[in-house]
Amino acid sequence: MKQTFRALCVAVAMLAAGAPAAQAQQAAATSTAAFPYAIEQSQLPNGLKVVTVPYASPGLASVFLVVRAGSRDEVEAGKTGFAHFFEHVMFRGTDKYSKEQYDEVLKSLGASANANTSLDRTVYHMTGNARMLEKMFEVEADRFQNLKYSEHDFKTEAGAVKGEYTKNSASLYTQLNEKVSDAAFDQHTYEHTTMGFFKDVVDMPNQYEYSKVFFDRFYRPEYTTLLVVGDVKAADVNRLAQQYFSLWKRGSYVPNMKQEAEQTAPRYVHIQNANFPPMLSLSYKGPAFSDQSKDLPALDILMTMLFAENSDLYQQLVVKEQKVRFVGGSPNMTRDPHLTSIRASVVKAEDIPYVKQRIVQALEDAKTKPLDAKKLADTKSALKYGNLMDLDAPDNIANTLAQFIWLTGDVQSVNRYPALYDQVTAQDIQAAAKKYFVPEHLTVGTIGPKDTGGVQ
Amino acid sequence: MKQFFLRASLGLLLGAATIIAAPALAADVVELKQPNAAKVVVMLRFNNGSASDPKGKEGLAYLTSQLVTEGGTKELTAAQLKDLLYPMAARYGARTDKEVTTYTFEFHRDFIDKFYPVLKGLMLTPSFTQEDFARLKSNQLNYVEQVIRASSDEDYSKFALEDQLFRGTRYQHMTRGTAAGVRSITLDDVKQFYAKAYGKNNLTIGITGNYPESFVQKLKKDMDALPTASIKPEVPKLSPTKGVHVEIVSKPDALGSAVYAGFPIETTRGKDDFAALMVANSYLGEHRKSYGKLYDKIRTTRSMNYGDYSYIEWYEAGGNNMLPVPGVPRHANYASIWLRPVQIAEGLRKQYPTELGDLKVGHAPFALRLALREMDGLVKNGMTKENFELTRTFLRSYTKLYGLTPAKQLGFLLDSKFYGRKDWLSELDGQLAKLTLDDVNKAIKKYWQVQNMYVTVVTDDSEAQPLADVLKNNTPSPMSYAKVVREGLPKEVVAEDAQVASFKVNVTDVKVVDTKDTFK
Repeated sequence: MKQTFRALCVAVAMLAAGAPAAQAQQAAATSTAAFPYAIEQSQLPNGLKVVTVPYASPGLASVFLVVRAGSRDEVEAGKTGFAHFFEHVMFRGTDKYSKEQYDEVLKSLGASANANTSLDRTVYHMTGNARMLEKMFEVEADRFQNLKYSEHDFKTEAGAVKGEYTKNSASLYTQLNEKVSDAAFDQHTYEHTTMGFFKDVVDMPNQYEYSKVFFDRFYRPEYTTLLVVGDVKAADVNRLAQQYFSLWKRGSYVPNMKQEAEQTAPRYVHIQNANFPPMLSLSYKGPAFSDQSKDLPALDILMTMLFAENSDLYQQLVVKEQKVRFVGGSPNMTRDPHLTSIRASVVKAEDIPYVKQRIVQALEDAKTKPLDAKKLADTKSALKYGNLMDLDAPDNIANTLAQFIWLTGDVQSVNRYPALYDQVTAQDIQAAAKKYFVPEHLTVGTIGPKDTGGVQ
Repeated sequence: MKQFFLRASLGLLLGAATIIAAPALAADVVELKQPNAAKVVVMLRFNNGSASDPKGKEGLAYLTSQLVTEGGTKELTAAQLKDLLYPMAARYGARTDKEVTTYTFEFHRDFIDKFYPVLKGLMLTPSFTQEDFARLKSNQLNYVEQVIRASSDEDYSKFALEDQLFRGTRYQHMTRGTAAGVRSITLDDVKQFYAKAYGKNNLTIGITGNYPESFVQKLKKDMDALPTASIKPEVPKLSPTKGVHVEIVSKPDALGSAVYAGFPIETTRGKDDFAALMVANSYLGEHRKSYGKLYDKIRTTRSMNYGDYSYIEWYEAGGNNMLPVPGVPRHANYASIWLRPVQIAEGLRKQYPTELGDLKVGHAPFALRLALREMDGLVKNGMTKENFELTRTFLRSYTKLYGLTPAKQLGFLLDSKFYGRKDWLSELDGQLAKLTLDDVNKAIKKYWQVQNMYVTVVTDDSEAQPLADVLKNNTPSPMSYAKVVREGLPKEVVAEDAQVASFKVNVTDVKVVDTKDTFK
């Protein structure tokens, strides 16, 4: 079981964003059980949503600000990576609290505070002393409304972002992830990772003026949800939200998203490296997240089933033949259609074509062969219990809720989406396999010692 | 906060956790009851780890623990076991560190009876098949030989530093071992190690969550069937080194220089002055916090990398964890400085061809000098009263986040036992409360210095030799800013840069090592 989680983690980390701070979009393993805690939601007249989940974590609370802007929203050429860069800039101070004073306040709060950016969102989070809630609101409301930084500070921060790119680039998985995204998408902004294209990262010091435009567009109440989980009362949270965020002005910007044209032939990318374990990744165009459609739950159940440690495929490739070190796969939960990816770390590069054939065969079988009813029920159970076990700390709970907030803008998706899993039938799964595992919609990524992956 | 609150409210609040230290029969038991929890977590902590690996079999403790958790039992093959567990989504695994190995089992309370036989079978009658052995050994060797060299240069630099700092001791090798060590391990070695290393006499049982008392009794009784462990980890006694010893690991296609530096210190969580050193360390370089001095000067002010921190004990997977994780307690300790990858000359030349086109060395020497100078400043001048108070306030609140989940709380309780304490996390608050500025400044003087240490840099092959030359000859290394940053620098920063550039590092030897020659 542990292997499954590890494989999944690797797949997830490689798939979407690409960095701990530019955190990966979570895979669609989120839930098939109703969320076990009460959710209280309200909205300020300016559009800011306020969500409170009281949870018995004596003396502690997590405060999250979820901004529905990520690298997806970087629609202009030359500005990739900007959502993530801006996340850094948000720590550069205001008139009331300079960078140093903001740090001092954070330090006095003794909180664990940070931020991360992904394809569809930027999340600012603090976990700490629940009795300091008002101070947390005050400093966060201040920087979200009154951020002010000098051109020098802006340029300086660009160096740290290049440093982050440098750190991440040491991983060949990160490098493959970049290439796969770039190859799989032509029109949609998912073609670049959250870190952005390297040329744009290098050019960031020159984008001071644009940064003000970016703040003006996206750091607005209608893009944001304030989420508090822990030892708090909704009445207090709502009162403080009103006190500190009600003067925040609504904006008007809506990005003009380009739809990706249908892919008509498989695509291939390869990294030549003789000193790294060979890797095969198969990425099919998948569905956008929806809390109304069964497509994503059906794919999630199918892929969990296909690659679990007790699956035929895993037992054959990993345990018996030992041609593969790990194999895993999952659809991504994203606002627009992204990739549903499978990854295998292959022992010998010459086996990559064989491993690909075996995986593709399993996907083909899923389109036609009848599904075992017990296996389906067991998989639903596995997903349900897996998720229930993770909800045991305020920050874990807030992270789970944040995901649904950025995907649909409505925290109640956390109840609607899992309910879909219960309705998924064997027929739904076959239909999803046929709809999404289309050979022409595939992008193949490989790492190996030769100048091609040998699967084209 | 949580830990303290729960202890203080013992018996008063329904649903609060209580810590019970049961009388020792065979294995010690540490309980943290959470009657409202959805799950149960069992931790079995054995006092053997990679420092117990026999000579020539480096990696054996790690491989053994993997084989226990990845295989089957006497009753069930691994495949049958995975079928049985699949709908439960139960999770289990092992963490092997230098001196301890911890098996952690997490399962939903609905499956307590169904899951337990698996736990018992894996621990008491693991199957140890040739098939599983071959697979897991191959994966481990692959990590040691390939993965570590091309996935995170930061982790690479840390393991390479331990290889240098603990050279000649049983702490030297990575927990996953060396290439030669892993290659030489046989299935028979694994079986023998299992029998010698995991005993009822070196086991602490930890349990938290929602479980009946009968479950604890059954677990205790069953684990009593474990044999008596006959080996112990070999804890190194390091004598202080003389001078600064640098090893530069040269690899192709690195974009930056990852730096890790450290020197042995003789304090751990077991000692009372550790809390004093925690305050100093938090001020100098709290992990992943922008208010550490190192972060402030190297990243925020000068934009040189992603972050810069200091440590007074091993920090597991620092690139992934914002807060420390339990399960890595150690008796042999060292202080360290972690500089995340800084730019190399090649990258800077490409980015700023007209301004920095003839640059020979990147930012590593300047960053290292700056970090050592900051530490040196603290050794010479100590902390101010104001910084002491603010940092202590921070820590008294922040350390309460270490045990955010019940499983983490339990892990820290097990670590407490290792250090001879009952509950280090809650005792820590009292220790911090009692501290004076004088205590902290004394601890700094007692444990920190910058004259004698080990430094490891993982960098690009184009950078390795020029970097070695600068460090060996103590050549001044002025900071090479891009014009866009240099133009707006405050005067104090420019003045400080001049001091840093020629700060003398007591380098006695510098060695360039090819990446192919690491962890052999």
